Amino acid sequence: MKKNKSLLWLFAMILVVSAFLAACGGDDGDSGSGDSKKEDGTTEDKAADGEPQKGGTLVYGIDAPPEGLYNPAFYNIATDAEVIDLFDESLINYNENLEPEPNVASWTTEDNKVFNFKFEEGVKWHNGEELTVNDWVFAFETIASPDYDGPRYTNVQTIEGAEAFRNGEADTISGVEVVGDYEINITFDEARVNNLTNLWSYPLPESVLGDVPVAEMSASEWVRSTPIGIGPFKVDKIVPGESVEFSRFDEYWNGEVNLDKIVLRVIDNSSVVGALQNGDVDMISLQPVSGPEVEPLENVDIVTYPGLSYYYVGFKLGKFDNATQTITEELPKYQSKELRQAMMYAINRQEWVDAFFFGYANVVNKPVPTSHWNAADDAEADLNTYEYDPEKAKEMLDAAGYVDTNDDGFREDPNGDEFVVKFSHYATGNPTFESRAQAITQYWEEVGIKSELEMVEVNLYYEMIEKDDPSIETFFGGWGTGSDPDPSGLWKADQLWNYRATTILKQINCLMML
Amino acid sequence: MLKYTIRRLLGMIPMLILISIVVFTLAKLMPGDSLSGEIDPLNTNPEYIAEMREKLGYNEPLPVQYFDWITGFLQGDFGKSTRFKVPVADIIMEKIPNTLFLGVMSLLITYILAFLMGMYSGRKPYTLGDNAIAGINYIMLAIPSFVAAVFAIYFFSFHLNWFPFGGSVDILVEEGTLDYWFSKLHHVLLPAIVLGAMSTASYTQFLRNDIIENSRKDFVRTARAKGTPIKKIYNVHILRNSIIPLVTFLGFDFAALIGGAIITETIFTYPGIGQLFLESVTSRDYPTLMALTMLLSFLTLAGNLIADILYGIVDPRIRLD
Repeated sequence: MKKNKSLLWLFAMILVVSAFLAACGGDDGDSGSGDSKKEDGTTEDKAADGEPQKGGTLVYGIDAPPEGLYNPAFYNIATDAEVIDLFDESLINYNENLEPEPNVASWTTEDNKVFNFKFEEGVKWHNGEELTVNDWVFAFETIASPDYDGPRYTNVQTIEGAEAFRNGEADTISGVEVVGDYEINITFDEARVNNLTNLWSYPLPESVLGDVPVAEMSASEWVRSTPIGIGPFKVDKIVPGESVEFSRFDEYWNGEVNLDKIVLRVIDNSSVVGALQNGDVDMISLQPVSGPEVEPLENVDIVTYPGLSYYYVGFKLGKFDNATQTITEELPKYQSKELRQAMMYAINRQEWVDAFFFGYANVVNKPVPTSHWNAADDAEADLNTYEYDPEKAKEMLDAAGYVDTNDDGFREDPNGDEFVVKFSHYATGNPTFESRAQAITQYWEEVGIKSELEMVEVNLYYEMIEKDDPSIETFFGGWGTGSDPDPSGLWKADQLWNYRATTILKQINCLMML
Repeated sequence: MLKYTIRRLLGMIPMLILISIVVFTLAKLMPGDSLSGEIDPLNTNPEYIAEMREKLGYNEPLPVQYFDWITGFLQGDFGKSTRFKVPVADIIMEKIPNTLFLGVMSLLITYILAFLMGMYSGRKPYTLGDNAIAGINYIMLAIPSFVAAVFAIYFFSFHLNWFPFGGSVDILVEEGTLDYWFSKLHHVLLPAIVLGAMSTASYTQFLRNDIIENSRKDFVRTARAKGTPIKKIYNVHILRNSIIPLVTFLGFDFAALIGGAIITETIFTYPGIGQLFLESVTSRDYPTLMALTMLLSFLTLAGNLIADILYGIVDPRIRLD
């Protein structure tokens, strides 16, 4: 349930080029790709014989300053979430296939509509108060309050009666029924397979925030300077914008904590390699671009794991009216399926991924990252994986009528008019973005499709795609998914984030067909 | 003097109003707004964004938004940062001590270095030493600060281990103890040296030229004729006259002290105003962005005023009325 800031773009179709590695894909603007995790084997984090060692301090680096909203209900950016993860934990965990499994709370349900949750007893907040289901109810009511200024209402909305509570028609959320201090029944407005994964799963400490008006919570000291949670480490001290000191929470409910302290510090990307080399930092999420420099260091192990984000090339096939959630107009330029498929064949995705993600990414063929339990195996799903095949691309283009009729070296469209593909990519401070986008247009030019690249300032990029700006025709995008693998939020016909619209059906067909 | 000061202060008002309009317009002209950078299809829905836009008043016509903002601003309410969700004044106050500390340290380094180099160059113009100083100064001026900062970190922090590579203080040190202040000083030195040592050129050359010019003046000849030692002539008679023009720089430095160093602060992950300013621009945090710009505009104007007044004080020959 990571929050992704900026740049998780959307997407559309055939070409799914993807990079995998990110810790939940929480990249923000300038990274644009995943990170790999690394640790170095200093004394504190592992002992030689593999037994966990007691004591010690871990220095954990992050590469962007946190905003300081240290509460799961209020944070905005992935960096803050990284900090929160160190001192708070979710009631529900996810296993390696990202299926939910009990943590503090275990549950039973018969119909996926009514859930019964039981809490572990004796779980303590860092201020010594005991965690009860009331803290969870308090979280729901805070998030559903009309004064709430964070973005998490979608996670509470599906509870029966949340809407009425938010509109002030009810004093409580009718779908939430407290049975006892450790037991609660939650009724959703309808049965869904993913009700549980979508549900808000962090309690909010009523003992300290109970007296704070909802509108002032995000600015309160309990969020900004002395946050508390139920995790294995508690926050000792925060130096805003640069470091956070955590120490072991002795009353942690789930076993003994090994480390004495964690010091989290912000390290600028330009210093990461040096800091690792000198042992100034023990563990950090690495940008793929630093990988080749870090790999030769002897005191550093790079650990990679599959991420939850992917990048793609999208085609604008129509205009979307968000109010009515329908497609109002079809754009004719890229309606030819053969054209789109040929453009996919023309791209050497493996080469591209190796060049721009430094080997820390894989080519993917479907919009559900491989970490998810419902990710299909390529072979099983009988996917066409669109291996790089420029000859086939050329044949398909010839067959579809895209031939060079005026001998300028580039193909014209079937009517004999000049055909130029406009490709857009977002521009941030990251200098590799332009070259990686340029590389894609070059692949297209190699099969005779004239292509133009436009780099668009990142904030504007969004708006232009969302608002169906005519200058966006094909575009580069990416999404990071959370633990809920349901891709309908991105791909269903009535969703705004399915930026291209019109052909949702066609696209889904294509995707299925792939 | 008082009359002059009041006149200048009154003159600032229309200037600040105009600046506020320009700043506001430019900020709003930037593509996107504080919500456009955030999309997470799983946690965020278009309704939330629409609702927040309405709440933040982004749907009002621009003049209405401007008057809402300026009314609050005049009453001392700078608004709430859309990014940090706390009052802008708090967030600025949180960063100012760091920036001020860095600014004062770097200015001190600039002054000391420029003073020494300027005195030497002025006394021995057109010698090898003078040319070397000028050469070094201009090279330093030409090196972009981010290059210098990265290089300095690599060399002094990672190779020699003399300085920490980032941050403003070691979090493990108890606040308020002597160690704490020492740690602060230790952290600020490297960025201060990068900032301070790189910008000595204008001071040095200004001082040098002034010393050369003054050394040809009549009063110097008179002093020499009297038999005053050369050393005294330079260190007392000439220097006092040569420092006067430097006072003008002080006014500009005043705003720069608070303004911080955007790039250097970011590379050293030194949480100050410069870093805050950069982030408020990229995240379209209008209240923070506008409060900072207004603050810096005001400080620049005030700095100029102070420089002019100081001018009158140091050199009674200059009359302000």
